Amino acid sequence: MMKTTALAAALLMGASFAAQAQTVDAKLADYKKVSGVSGSLKSIGSDTLNNLMTLWAEGYNALYPNVKIEIEGKGSSTAPPALVAGTSQFGPMSRPMKAKEIEDFEKKNGYKPSAIRSAVDALAVFVHKDNPIQCLSLQQVDAIFSKTRKGGAAKQAATWGDVGLSGDWANKPISLYGRNSASGTYGYFKEEALFNGDYSDSVKEQPGSSAVVQGIASDKYAIGYSGVGYKTADVRTVPISKKPGEKCYDANAEGAYSGNYPIARFLYVYLNKNPNQAMDPLRGEFVRYVFSKQGQTVVLKDGFFPVTKAIADEDLGKLGLK
Amino acid sequence: MKSGETMEAVAVKPTTGAITARRSYESSLSARGEPFLWGLGGALGFGVLLVVGFLVLVFWNGITTFWPKPIEVVTLLSGELVAGEPTRREAFKVGPERLASLPEAAKARIIADDHIARRVLLRTGNFDLYNDDYRWIEDYKIEKVETPSNLFFIERQEWGAFVGRIKSLSKDGAVISGDELTYAFLSSEQQEARQRFRAIKAIEKGEIGEVNFELNQERLKIRKAVLQHGEGAPETKRVEAEVEQAALAMKVRFEALALKSQEIKSQDSKILVTLADITGTEKVTPLSQIVRFYPANDLSLLDKVGIYLSRWSEFLTDDPREANTEGGVLPAIFGTFVMTLLMVVVVAPFGVVTALYLREYAKQGRLVSIVRISVNNLAGVPSIVYGVFGLGFFAYILGGSIDALFYPERLPNPTFGTGGLLWSALTLALLTVPVVIVATEEALAAVPKSMREGSLACGASKWQTIKNIVLPRAMPGIMTGLILAMARGAGEVAPLMLVGVVKLAPELPVDGFWPFVHLERSFMHLGFHIFDVGFQSRNSEAGKPMVFVTTLLLIALIALMNASAVIIRNRLKRKFMVGHF
Repeated sequence: MMKTTALAAALLMGASFAAQAQTVDAKLADYKKVSGVSGSLKSIGSDTLNNLMTLWAEGYNALYPNVKIEIEGKGSSTAPPALVAGTSQFGPMSRPMKAKEIEDFEKKNGYKPSAIRSAVDALAVFVHKDNPIQCLSLQQVDAIFSKTRKGGAAKQAATWGDVGLSGDWANKPISLYGRNSASGTYGYFKEEALFNGDYSDSVKEQPGSSAVVQGIASDKYAIGYSGVGYKTADVRTVPISKKPGEKCYDANAEGAYSGNYPIARFLYVYLNKNPNQAMDPLRGEFVRYVFSKQGQTVVLKDGFFPVTKAIADEDLGKLGLK
Repeated sequence: MKSGETMEAVAVKPTTGAITARRSYESSLSARGEPFLWGLGGALGFGVLLVVGFLVLVFWNGITTFWPKPIEVVTLLSGELVAGEPTRREAFKVGPERLASLPEAAKARIIADDHIARRVLLRTGNFDLYNDDYRWIEDYKIEKVETPSNLFFIERQEWGAFVGRIKSLSKDGAVISGDELTYAFLSSEQQEARQRFRAIKAIEKGEIGEVNFELNQERLKIRKAVLQHGEGAPETKRVEAEVEQAALAMKVRFEALALKSQEIKSQDSKILVTLADITGTEKVTPLSQIVRFYPANDLSLLDKVGIYLSRWSEFLTDDPREANTEGGVLPAIFGTFVMTLLMVVVVAPFGVVTALYLREYAKQGRLVSIVRISVNNLAGVPSIVYGVFGLGFFAYILGGSIDALFYPERLPNPTFGTGGLLWSALTLALLTVPVVIVATEEALAAVPKSMREGSLACGASKWQTIKNIVLPRAMPGIMTGLILAMARGAGEVAPLMLVGVVKLAPELPVDGFWPFVHLERSFMHLGFHIFDVGFQSRNSEAGKPMVFVTTLLLIALIALMNASAVIIRNRLKRKFMVGHF
């Protein structure tokens, strides 16, 4: 929960922005092309960020035709080893690095990896479009997905009746869809929505975010989680409340920015930057591009939410790019 | 059959006891093997049905994807206007909550219909305006549906499709709109704009790419010199000076090219088109960003065929865009083809030599049997295990050593020490080598002993016999093995994900720069493309048709490669038929 509050606080720094959702922060800088950028880059990491990285690469490549960018996205857990081994320059991750991963990196390089908060994602709980459910509390979500129920629910929610649906739905079993364990989404959901408990054994683990959505689209009694960017017309997002009885907030930009939506998160891109050296222009300009108006418009295009000028400035400052 | 007939004959003979006759007649039915025959036939029929059903499903969905569909404009009861291509329709059960919120007339109709209503999925496009590109419309919300003319379906370079009207075109400051803005005029302008767009791309990818490639080579020279002679050594300084000179010349070339592309770009940005969606929300975009546009409801059959073919040609010859969900798959076709070819080049000699030794030279005994059993068992190992082996042994150990020995100047960026074309081909070769060995062994065994003996009797050595008599006659069988190996290899994806296939490879593995074939490069693959578009793309609804088209293409590519191998095999067969008595 700490993390969510931090996210909200960080986002509220660009206060006026919250009101006008679904557009990029007008204060973000326009990207200006510089000369002397060339070389090749490789990105290995998150599958949630796979499309976003590809779209950024396409945009960056249009500006600098002499840059080659390769993208590989098989899960957030693949990012740190690749960064440590030096096989990739960027490590997109949909969760922050774990202490162990940071330690491994530090052991090899002598300094900690740097991260940029490149976009905001409201991790959505999806159900089939015909599902009438109006609201779920985190505790109910935990009761549905977890077998340990650390959220405090009295019993496992096995049917839709257990979470308050009536009529035809009441005795229909809930069918669970989720991500595989290499995914950062899996880890984040476990931490925030399952209160660090364990997943129920009946969760059908899918190889990609889009696969989760497709599974739910073809299964009327299904529920699952993945990045809100993967929403299609066949599924709907369920509004979530922090505690039972509180007001539910939908997985949209307002909810994520205000911090009312309890499972919003940053999407990170990790990189290897020696604190004693300036960043090379090839990677530096990429980061600048990501935090420009153009780069954040791409975020919208992929269905996620852009970051504010305040966050962009903070992260650029940390990397010495301001 | 024969035993059945005799049984029947026995059964008919005794005319005295009817009971005996019936009993033996019954038993003869199964003895004749007919139920068995029916079972076999049924199993075959079921198998054929599955295969044909699958092929028809893929073929039909793949072949119809690019056909232009009309655009429906739906007026909702609330007065809202929605325009889009209808993609899917379905019936659904209206739940009590939803029913309660409906007006009386609709409610009565749905209740009369057993709580069933219908809905249609419209591809509304305009993602930049709506943050959504598909929308379900329930029939009880609809007031009327129209297909008005002059409504355009516009495919854009970015943001996906736009559905709406074309309001005006502004060219160098002059605004053209209304009646002057004809389809023919727009088309010719758009063609011109696309030409400019391609010119920019040619400069940026081709010519600037060339400069960069050379520049990179020069830079590597310095690193190499530093590694060889040490920093600050006279040789290093000399190389540095040389490189600087070359880099300077290249920089001049680069500036000139960049200026050229900038010029076309600025010219391009002056031609803007104003689009408006069905509710009148406007969107201004450079004309060159429009890939294709057509008035969806005013098309003749000929126009439709034209659009259909143009979409296919884009699909087959263009690069992907929008994170692989649109555009073409040329890099993936190319990658699949080159990788499979390379795999065959590796697996053919390797498999054939192994089989030759096993069959012709090795002393048949326990050891050879064990080897043979091991080879057969290799075929049963899950393909992902080969992927792990390929990554660990080929990429990390072999590739890592190659990098340390031959490309130290590029480290820590791996050259061969990561997944790539060569390692993928080798991994798949390993995966398919049992097929080739088994097939070759069978083919060798089928060559008559008399021929070998004849050859040996004429004084030929063992190798001469194998080379001139046995191998040519076994060739068709060996080819069959290779065909099977190829089909298996081209369709395999799981191990490739570990050893070199990527979502977006910036360059083809074969290009105009020395050494022309770049075995170390990662590549795109049709099979992985299917996985990626199907399970990883933002909008799975939009990705679905692409999955079918790509599957169709992959099947076609494998069929084509197999067909050519079959033709070669038949040639070989015919060649040796003459020699038979």
